[in-house]
Amino acid sequence: MSHKIGLACIIDDDSMYVNLVKKIIEAKNLCQNLMVFQNGKDALNYFEVILNNLDKNSIPEIIFLDLNMPVMDGWEFLDNFIKIKNKLEKTITLYIVSSSINPVDVERAKSINSVKDYLVKPVTMEDLESIFLNQTT
Amino acid sequence: MLQNELFNNVIKDFNAGYWELHTKPDKEIWSQKFYEQVGFDEEEIESTIDYFLEHLIHKDDVDVFRDNFLNYRKNNINFKQHIKILTKEGEYKLFRCATNDQLPVNIKSEINLIFFFEIKLEPEQDIAKDNFYYKETAQMTATGSWYVDFHKRKSYWDFETRRILEYPDDYIPSLKDSANYYAKDCRQQAADLFFNCAMAGTPFNTEIKMVTANKRVFWVRAIGKPVYNENKEIIGIRGVFQDIDDIKTKEIKLQRSIEIIASQNSRLFNFAHIVSHNLRSHTSNLSLLVQLIDGIEDPKEKIELIKEIKQISSSLNTTIEHLNEIVAIHTNRSQERKLIKFQDALKLVTGGIGQMISVSKTKIEADFENLEEINYIPAYLESILLNLITNAIKYKHADRDPLIQIKSYIDGNKKCIEVTDNGRGIDMKLFKDKIFGMYKTFHYNEDAVGIGLFMTKNQVESLDGTITVQSEVDKGTTFKIEF
Repeated sequence: MSHKIGLACIIDDDSMYVNLVKKIIEAKNLCQNLMVFQNGKDALNYFEVILNNLDKNSIPEIIFLDLNMPVMDGWEFLDNFIKIKNKLEKTITLYIVSSSINPVDVERAKSINSVKDYLVKPVTMEDLESIFLNQTT
Repeated sequence: MLQNELFNNVIKDFNAGYWELHTKPDKEIWSQKFYEQVGFDEEEIESTIDYFLEHLIHKDDVDVFRDNFLNYRKNNINFKQHIKILTKEGEYKLFRCATNDQLPVNIKSEINLIFFFEIKLEPEQDIAKDNFYYKETAQMTATGSWYVDFHKRKSYWDFETRRILEYPDDYIPSLKDSANYYAKDCRQQAADLFFNCAMAGTPFNTEIKMVTANKRVFWVRAIGKPVYNENKEIIGIRGVFQDIDDIKTKEIKLQRSIEIIASQNSRLFNFAHIVSHNLRSHTSNLSLLVQLIDGIEDPKEKIELIKEIKQISSSLNTTIEHLNEIVAIHTNRSQERKLIKFQDALKLVTGGIGQMISVSKTKIEADFENLEEINYIPAYLESILLNLITNAIKYKHADRDPLIQIKSYIDGNKKCIEVTDNGRGIDMKLFKDKIFGMYKTFHYNEDAVGIGLFMTKNQVESLDGTITVQSEVDKGTTFKIEF
């Protein structure tokens, strides 16, 4: 067994969902720190700032991205994130977590290299656990 | 079998003479059968169009045949015509000319052909018959013929053209004012067509709106082609107008109902998507919560978590209420419309949110002079005004007090209202497609729900209206509703 995940990130506007995932992570002790952004814009702003003063500890190892969000949705975030991703000098695993079961969304997500997988809500506790445990290298 | 061989065999057995129209250089090859039909030997006559027009064809048929021939050669316009051709015996024989479009469908010719089928009829009888058929056809199909003579600078109309355009039988058409025969928005189109036909010899076949003597606008199919003289110069335009108002009006109506059905279909689809998406987000939270409760040992924490169910249940209720409202819009559409004064509706709305208006120092300027009232479902008009006004106040600009201008007017034959604010504006490049979507918000306001504009659009569209938006960041937003 190797190291535990240091920092994970959730980009989702559903506060109830975020709250529950937070509780699961705490209860199962899946990672040390968790960042939450309510929409793509807030998250993107954050990544643009840390790009300027590269602090590896501030870069999450894993991102859970929702699609349907106000202000800036998941797709728009992804477009922008892909452009700056390589400059962050850290492997970031990104999962899309959405309640959309629209096959168009699923196909689109799978066609993007930077997206590791597409999870349909509801996610289960087992899903979350195995993602966090397999993430460790 | 080669296409060409097939073609050659058919041609050989065809009981008709024909011409092959070769190009580069232009030249016609007359078939053996054609010579046989007219009785001349190849050496006795010249196989050129000019010789044919001058010596062989009956002078009554020269002009029309020349036009048909040149149009066929230059523009590939197929034609049919009866002509009389001089035979060696010194008599005229009647022929029916036909072109490539008369070939059986499986036969394709690489070059243009003209066929000459002999018709065995007494000529006098034929002409009388022709005239009868022409009048019958014109009347039954509401198709009038016309001719524009460039040299005499005159137009000629037949009886049917006069009839469909509702002019008296002795009316003399005016070339100078010919634009007036077309509907205002079609005059440019008509001018272009006639100009191209006169200058470049481009024939036309189009649908266009014309105006009758009684100022009634109606649809016609206008077909025209150039007329050539013996020097192959264009000396006029000949054509027909067919009254297609019935068909075209039906077509337009059909098109409109297709659009309405398509938009209803897309709203239904959108609604199904909304239902599925919105309910899923709550049920998935619920299922996650249940898993969490199961996985936790501490009874105290368990009780804390059970409290969360309350939260989910209330969100679920809110969502269901929103969905109900949308369904209500579409079931309410049959609700009774009433004549409402805009001023009264506005008064009612501003009265209800007086507190919000005074606290935000909002100024509302209304101008209903051009259109004072409308026949509409009162609750919808109030809801539309309420949504647009509260939006303008919620998303006011930080540097100035809100100013909302409301104006009603008639645009063409549509009744419209415009609501303009001086607020923050919406970035149209980013949000153009999302403005009227459900649960879409574009600002960082905590109380943004993203239901208002979605409902407004649904209400407007359920009564067959449209809503559009124009906006500039930092300047303001204008919503325009066509009722």
